[in-house]
Amino acid sequence: MSERTSLADLARRMEAVVGARNCYSSGPDLLTYECDGITHGRTRPDLVVLPGTTQEVVEVVRLARASGRPIVPRGSGTGLSGGARPVPGSVVVALSRMRRILEVNLEDGWARVEPGVLNLDVTKAVSGAGYYYAPDPSSQSICSIGGNLAENAGGAHCLKYGFTANHVLGARLVLHDGKVVDIGGTSLDSPGHDLLAALVGSEGMLGIVTEVTLRLLRKPEATRTFFATFPSTDEGGEAVSRIIAAGILPAAIEMMDRLAIVAAKAATGLDWPDVGAALLMDADGPVAEVEDTSARAVKIAREAGALEVRLPKSEAERQLMWKGRKSAFAAVGRISPNYMVEDGVIPRSEIASVLREIASMAKDQGLRVANVFHAGDGNLHPLVLYDARESGQEERAERLGGDILRMCVRRGGSITGEHGVGADKAEYMADMFGESDLETMKWVRSAFDPECGFNPGKVFPSTPLCGERAGPGGRVPHPAEKSGEVERW
Amino acid sequence: MRERQGTAADAVQGLVPGLVLEPATLEEAAEALRRSAADRMAVTFVGGGTDLGLGGRPARLEAVIRTGALSRLVDHAPADQVVTAEAGMTLGALREVLALHRQWLALDPPLPDRATVGGVVAANAFGPRRARFGAARDLVLGVSIVRADGTAAKGGGRVVKNVAGFDLPRLMVGSLGTLALLTTVTFRVHPLPEARATVLFPGLDAAQAWALTSGWRAAQLEPTSAAAILASDRFDLGVRFEGFESGVADQTGRILDLGRKGGLAGERLGEADAKGFWRRHDAVREGGSFRVKFSAPPSRLPDMARSWLPPVLGELSPAAAVVYPTLGIAFASGDPASAAGVVAGLHDARIAVIAAGGSLVLCEAPVAVRGAFDPWGAPPPSIDLMRSMKERFDPDRRLSPGRFVGGI
Repeated sequence: MSERTSLADLARRMEAVVGARNCYSSGPDLLTYECDGITHGRTRPDLVVLPGTTQEVVEVVRLARASGRPIVPRGSGTGLSGGARPVPGSVVVALSRMRRILEVNLEDGWARVEPGVLNLDVTKAVSGAGYYYAPDPSSQSICSIGGNLAENAGGAHCLKYGFTANHVLGARLVLHDGKVVDIGGTSLDSPGHDLLAALVGSEGMLGIVTEVTLRLLRKPEATRTFFATFPSTDEGGEAVSRIIAAGILPAAIEMMDRLAIVAAKAATGLDWPDVGAALLMDADGPVAEVEDTSARAVKIAREAGALEVRLPKSEAERQLMWKGRKSAFAAVGRISPNYMVEDGVIPRSEIASVLREIASMAKDQGLRVANVFHAGDGNLHPLVLYDARESGQEERAERLGGDILRMCVRRGGSITGEHGVGADKAEYMADMFGESDLETMKWVRSAFDPECGFNPGKVFPSTPLCGERAGPGGRVPHPAEKSGEVERW
Repeated sequence: MRERQGTAADAVQGLVPGLVLEPATLEEAAEALRRSAADRMAVTFVGGGTDLGLGGRPARLEAVIRTGALSRLVDHAPADQVVTAEAGMTLGALREVLALHRQWLALDPPLPDRATVGGVVAANAFGPRRARFGAARDLVLGVSIVRADGTAAKGGGRVVKNVAGFDLPRLMVGSLGTLALLTTVTFRVHPLPEARATVLFPGLDAAQAWALTSGWRAAQLEPTSAAAILASDRFDLGVRFEGFESGVADQTGRILDLGRKGGLAGERLGEADAKGFWRRHDAVREGGSFRVKFSAPPSRLPDMARSWLPPVLGELSPAAAVVYPTLGIAFASGDPASAAGVVAGLHDARIAVIAAGGSLVLCEAPVAVRGAFDPWGAPPPSIDLMRSMKERFDPDRRLSPGRFVGGI
């Protein structure tokens, strides 16, 4: 790499590309970009640049790389793994100005969009015609398609419909040398290696995506929802297992434990009972089938020990049930000064026993854990509650979070189901993967970016960079999240 | 490890390897790759051999590694709906195991009793149920591989939801043994449907077939398969519904109504006739000394029928074709009357399909056709990245060199 250009000189050149308004090198403007949804471990970048076109991205990449500075791509900054956290001396390339929906083709079921387009805006653009974009991360009203692609975002409904990886048909990518390359397309099975497989979920380490072609789906004819309560997560987990075993593929099946229910009630005023567990299930598809499967699932839930089953009488009531579920996490702030969210995955048949183990681990640390999770695919989101003012509690909470992830790996699961590894979980990758596994993954990275100048310090375990702190950590909820309008996981 | 001299039965597109290695354990598989690395042998991996015609003739072939003895079930967790099998297990054998628990792997490529799970992933083989369940990339959760240097590695996991690390499992899909040897594959599996029914709309023209396809999508029907088999110049369109009896009965009735409104007479086939229809479909996918795959945006189905298939089909005898209308993918098969004729037809068809944003790939062909027609077509714009990937995984170019896109 060439000698580092002086920052002032680089800033001037960047301004010439994107305009002075879209380039920050000092002052409070930089503050927003010091972290993503994980607000600890802030790192100040050298520069933040907001390009508006692919060509501007090309020039920004060339300038940044020529200056020897790492590039940190960024979408909406809502990620929960520190995937968009800058490293010292880096240039943050924020794609939030690139938010046009470029082309929609309903006949063939796709939309071509810029990376800064918000997830929900894709669905909004086509819902009038009866179509939608399936991946629905809970932050979908504020998170961007580019960020979704980087983290292979999921959501409550990916049990049936799959992740971002199953819904990206093509992408335009700016490489480390400023070359622009199109991957995939609008027809299936482009000849050659499946580079989209490498790209989706690559956490910004391969290049900068400037256009994405997304698959659009026809809306299902009907959705049926029910809410059921149980004495404990044992019976709730059993109900989930039996529903799945009966051959039913729910669109979403979510569970909350007692502490999460208490928090959600405190935040929303919902008239949910004080019980050990609650289940919220969506079935969707052709109406006759959905009526049938939903009725079967309700019957199974009762047989598994449900205390009460509620069926929404209107769409408004259904939305309210989901709002309760969605607000549960931010609501935890009402019962604890601080909390950390984890994103582990376990085989779904082990839910009940894993929850018992988490409870016992929490007890050992003298902490409380609230659980809200995607029960159908075993994706747990344990919320570790703590009080940062109490000496040693934050450290204990971090230890507990790490222990929970390692337990997920021991049970045959994963350290992340949808939030990504980012900077925060990089150290746990070595618990899940061996040296040769990680080396092979690095080959994929270096095939795209031989100098590894895109988003360093993510995914792969290494010595923490100065100023960074390894391990999971706390966060501050977005105001919209507190109100239950959006959720994050 | 079992090893022997190669014979004509081990030939890959006419090339007979000097050596055949048949590892029976994962350790032996790694040993086979280490040995080929030490001896600088070019190797091709062979499972059931059902897709050996795919791609170019390898530039070098000293050894074949057969995975047939790697045929064990590693783990099936029915409650978690995941299964891990060694790469050489046939799809048929896997189906038997899963059926004991009323489950199935929703991948239905041709020749399941020969096709192996590793081969299906490597070749991205699929069948009509791709319409609902997707292809291998949508069902694979994890892989174990042995790299060209003989080192074992893994990617993904054995839970249905996992985003930890780079996605090696999907990267392996369709890589045709050019990056690594697959040794185990973990899939998501589904419950076996309680009921199924096939509705046949015979004798449609392409416009009618597309109108009906758009119609059932607009009506929010969700078939698991749709296949339009060419019969002279008309299509017999079969649409299959699978799931709970309630949904199957309802959707079957509704698609018949939909057809009637468009003036199309359809019928719900009895069990024997339904089997017969799908056997006809299988024959198109499996038969002939020549097979070619078209992929294009689905709405171009009328062009597929009018302009793209005929120049190729006109050169085949017998000639057969099937179109998957929701996928935009078609296969044509048969025996070429003359190599020159079918090559001319392929050239015309490829130009038109590429102009529509699609691709045309040769799946099987006599030697004379192969020599005159690039099986993949011009390399895609991303070819440099693919070469870069190959360079890292296989720097000595020993894994099926020359078989893949752009001579990779």
